[in-house]
Formats: sequence, C-alpha cells, structure tokens
Amino acid sequence: MDNEITLSFIAKSENEALARMVMSSFIAAIDPTIEELSEFKTVISEAVTNAIVHGYEEDGTGKIEIHARREDREIVVSIVDYGRGIRDVNQAREPLFTTKPDEERSGMGFTIMESFSDDVEIYSIPNRGTTVTITKRFVPIQETSRIV
Amino acid sequence: MHHEVEKVGDEIIIIRLKGELDHHSTQEIRDEIVPMIKNGTIKVLVWNLKDLNFMDSSGIGLILGRMRELAPIDGQTIIVNPSETMRKIFQFAGLSPYICSDSEIDIMSKLGGIVYGQ
Ligand SMILES: Nc1ncnc2c1ncn2[C@@H]1O[C@H](COP(=O)(O)OP(=O)(O)O)[C@@H](O)[C@H]1O
Ligand SMILES: [Mg+2]
Repeated sequence: MDNEITLSFIAKSENEALARMVMSSFIAAIDPTIEELSEFKTVISEAVTNAIVHGYEEDGTGKIEIHARREDREIVVSIVDYGRGIRDVNQAREPLFTTKPDEERSGMGFTIMESFSDDVEIYSIPNRGTTVTITKRFVPIQETSRIV
Repeated sequence: MHHEVEKVGDEIIIIRLKGELDHHSTQEIRDEIVPMIKNGTIKVLVWNLKDLNFMDSSGIGLILGRMRELAPIDGQTIIVNPSETMRKIFQFAGLSPYICSDSEIDIMSKLGGIVYGQ
C-alpha cells in the first residue's frame, strides 16, 4: 500500500502546474475528498513557487526536488532547493511577511501551508538552500463523501 | 483554457478566470487588466471564479494589487463563486468581505443602479 517518489525539475514557473499534477496523482490512491485534494495542491503550489521565486529568483537553472512518501493515509512531502535560503525562519512564517511586495507576493504562503496541512517544518541555511517538509493526514474513507 | 475579460460600459470590468491561477498564470492576466484600469474610468472589478479550478496565494496578490490601484478613486472589488478552498484562502488574507453570494447577473443589475443611477 505504501509508496515513495522523487521528482526533480528546474526553477521555471511553468513547472508549478507540473508539480501539482504529479503530486495529485501520487495521492490518488488515498482517494482524498475534493477539499483535501485541493488543499493539498495549494500546499504544494505554495512551497514550489517559493523555491522558484525566492530560492532561485526564477533563474531557470536551479534544481528543485520533491521527495514524497505515503504511509497508510499520511503523506510526507519535502520540497528542496539549493538557493538563497531564509535568514529568519520565524519571521518568514508570519502572515503577510514577504521580501517581495513589489512582485505582488502576498506573504500568505506559509500561513496557507500551515492551515492546509498537519505540520510544516522549515530547514534553511542562508546561501545553501531550503527544505520545507509538510505532513498531511487524510481522513479515513468511510467518514466523508467521496469523489465519484 | 483562457480567461475572459469583459468591459461593461466605462466603469465595470468582469474578469472570468478559468483553469488554474498560480504565479505562472497571473502575469498574463495582470498584463491585460492593469492597462484597462490605468486608463482611469474603471470603478468596479468583478472577479468571477466559477470556472477557476485552482488558486493559490498568487491570486491574493493579483486581487490585492488591483484593489490598491482602485483605492485612489474609491473603486470597488467584488469576488463571486469561489470554491470552498478559495473561500478559506480569501479568509486568511482578510478578503472575505469582498465575496458576494449574488449571481453575476444580479450584481450587474445592482451595480447598474449604483454606477449609473446617481
Ligand atoms: N524556498 C525559499 N527560499 C528563500 N526564501 C524563501 C523560501 N520560501 C520562503 N522564503 C521567504 O519567506 C517569505 C515568506 O514566504 P510566503 O509566506 O510564501 O510569502 P510570499 O511568497 O508571498 O513572499 C518570502 O517572502 C521569502 O523571503
Ligand atoms: Mg510564497
């Protein structure tokens, strides 16, 4: 029943949709609710976009890796970049905090990741990179209505 | 799928977003709408999300950015048909008050009264 994948791609914005698509397929075996699936996709999108926009400033060459593991109904996903890193992780987590207000980033990325998952861990070293590890537990099948 | 931007009279723009709204796709929409607002007569932006399948915080940035441009002329922002997940995202960002549960047609007839009826 359990599964594990690794996905690697370059820091290009068109890969945001690709990452969401691959991760949606990865959790299909869990048979998530529509809500769970769309929240999970949002979490992936936020973390991958951060790696592209902040980690690599969209340089189109930096490598991003996604490591995903499924154990029963729990998914653990790490989004890894080797970019600029985050100097103050606690500040980065604050709602509305952004270092790119001029590019219309809203500073809501980490708030959304935390609200739509069960755990968000950030491990970052300035000028070395950032790893964001997200854990999301999906409700047992019989408790909710399913996608038909 | 491609989004649809419709100008109604001189003062209203309806933006019907389609497909997925992320950091990648916001750029194109922004480039289309910003010049329309900059020309000065626009007072109301209606964001219809009925055919939008996905939105992340890039959508918040896009909508807030346009609200800022409309602020000097006291412009209005109306969001219709967000999904359950989008509703939550708007709530985190303090945008819930701009969500309207009326249909686009009802909104347009009410706006007709506001915009043209003074
Ligand atoms: N992968 C990353 N590499 C470098 N900095 C990051 C990364 N992810 C997040 N950050 C920093 O954390 C801040 C907050 O991120 P977030 O909550 O997603 O807001 P936003 O992306 O809208 O700025 C960013 O503005 C950026 O400074
Ligand atoms: Mg972000």
